[in-house]
Amino acid sequence: MANRKVLLKRRKTARNICKITRTMQLIATARFQAAFKRAMGTKPYVEKLAELVANLSESAEGVDHPLLQTQPNVKRSSLLILTSMRGLCGGYNANVLRAAAAHLDEQSAHGIDTDVHMIGKKGIAFFQFLKRPMAKQTAQVSDAPSFEDVEPIANEWMDRLTRGEIATVHVAYMRFVSAGQQRAEVMQLLPLACDVDSGSKKAETSRRVEYEFSPAPEALLNELLPATVRVRLFQCFTEAVVSEQIARMVAMKAATDAATDMIKSLTRRYNRARQTYITMELLDIVGGANALE
Amino acid sequence: MARRETFQCTVITPERQVLDCEAKFVAFPAHDGEFGVLVNRAPLVCKLGIGLLRIETANDRHVMMVDEGFAQVVDNRLTILTESTAHAEDLDAAVVEQSRVEARAMRVPDEAGYRARSKAIQRAQVQLRLVRTEGSKEKA
Repeated sequence: MANRKVLLKRRKTARNICKITRTMQLIATARFQAAFKRAMGTKPYVEKLAELVANLSESAEGVDHPLLQTQPNVKRSSLLILTSMRGLCGGYNANVLRAAAAHLDEQSAHGIDTDVHMIGKKGIAFFQFLKRPMAKQTAQVSDAPSFEDVEPIANEWMDRLTRGEIATVHVAYMRFVSAGQQRAEVMQLLPLACDVDSGSKKAETSRRVEYEFSPAPEALLNELLPATVRVRLFQCFTEAVVSEQIARMVAMKAATDAATDMIKSLTRRYNRARQTYITMELLDIVGGANALE
Repeated sequence: MARRETFQCTVITPERQVLDCEAKFVAFPAHDGEFGVLVNRAPLVCKLGIGLLRIETANDRHVMMVDEGFAQVVDNRLTILTESTAHAEDLDAAVVEQSRVEARAMRVPDEAGYRARSKAIQRAQVQLRLVRTEGSKEKA
């Protein structure tokens, strides 16, 4: 008797949880679509900017911009870690933090001090638990990062880099490769070196256009490079949001499936217990009737 | 073949594509003054300043504020890349006036501060101009 009641209670719990996780899955799906649209919105800007940089680096010979220079003597760098504010998104935060921690260990093995700027409540909690130092923390993350929020962060780093305080800036985040694949990655944001080369290679294949430049190509490039850094950082933010929602969608889908399975097996067990009970009762009655004869 | 009279004009910010249309004439604020573009313009790459972007299509007219960025003209395509845009309907005259007062009151500790202040003032002035010229037309 008690067994049946317990089973019923457990099934009810499983049903409630299933309802919650399914709702969360649907919400994550809706948020993912919105975030995805936003992330795709940055694409034309990024592509156009890359095209301009490629055009310009052709015209401006021997580019020598502080944002492109590596500074081997500066033993200090920065790492931005993008984690989420809410949990229940599977291995999303754990993967990003693992990649970040590996990067930090590698940097310290090279004798480089790294300032960590942690974004997201989950990452802050994790680093506090590990007692790792964080130079800066931002607990709040918006689901729709705006360019104005990201811009000052990029500007501050570019200032520090040009002043020679830090040698490199890395960003640890979940890169959105496709809807089916996201990868925790540590990307080098500054210095920009490798990026311009790949850009100019692309330009060689396309046909050359003789542009009129205003101001001179060198001066334009000085403006374009910071813009590239800003938009790249912005892209990291938007991609991280998309990846987070996908991770949550997948995690909640798995949870819903597991809950459905559990409900099924609990129902089966309950039915069996009920049948056993009825059989027992019948046997009791039959046995009692037989005894009377 | 009929002569081409319009060219493609796109306005892009990091967040989204703001506008994509066939324009007859576009005037954009370059870093050193206003720049007008008509059809069949020679290829150009130009830095933008803070100011009003005016786009005239066959039967419509768009005005918005751009806050620095770049313009590129190639093959009858004009691309405006800017970090932010604002339309008259997004702005409130009182708020803009307030931001102008605040910009004027900004402290100038060094050269960077001075540049930031003059940019903030310019931004507010352009916004004010946008609200005054365009905002009233929409209400009418």
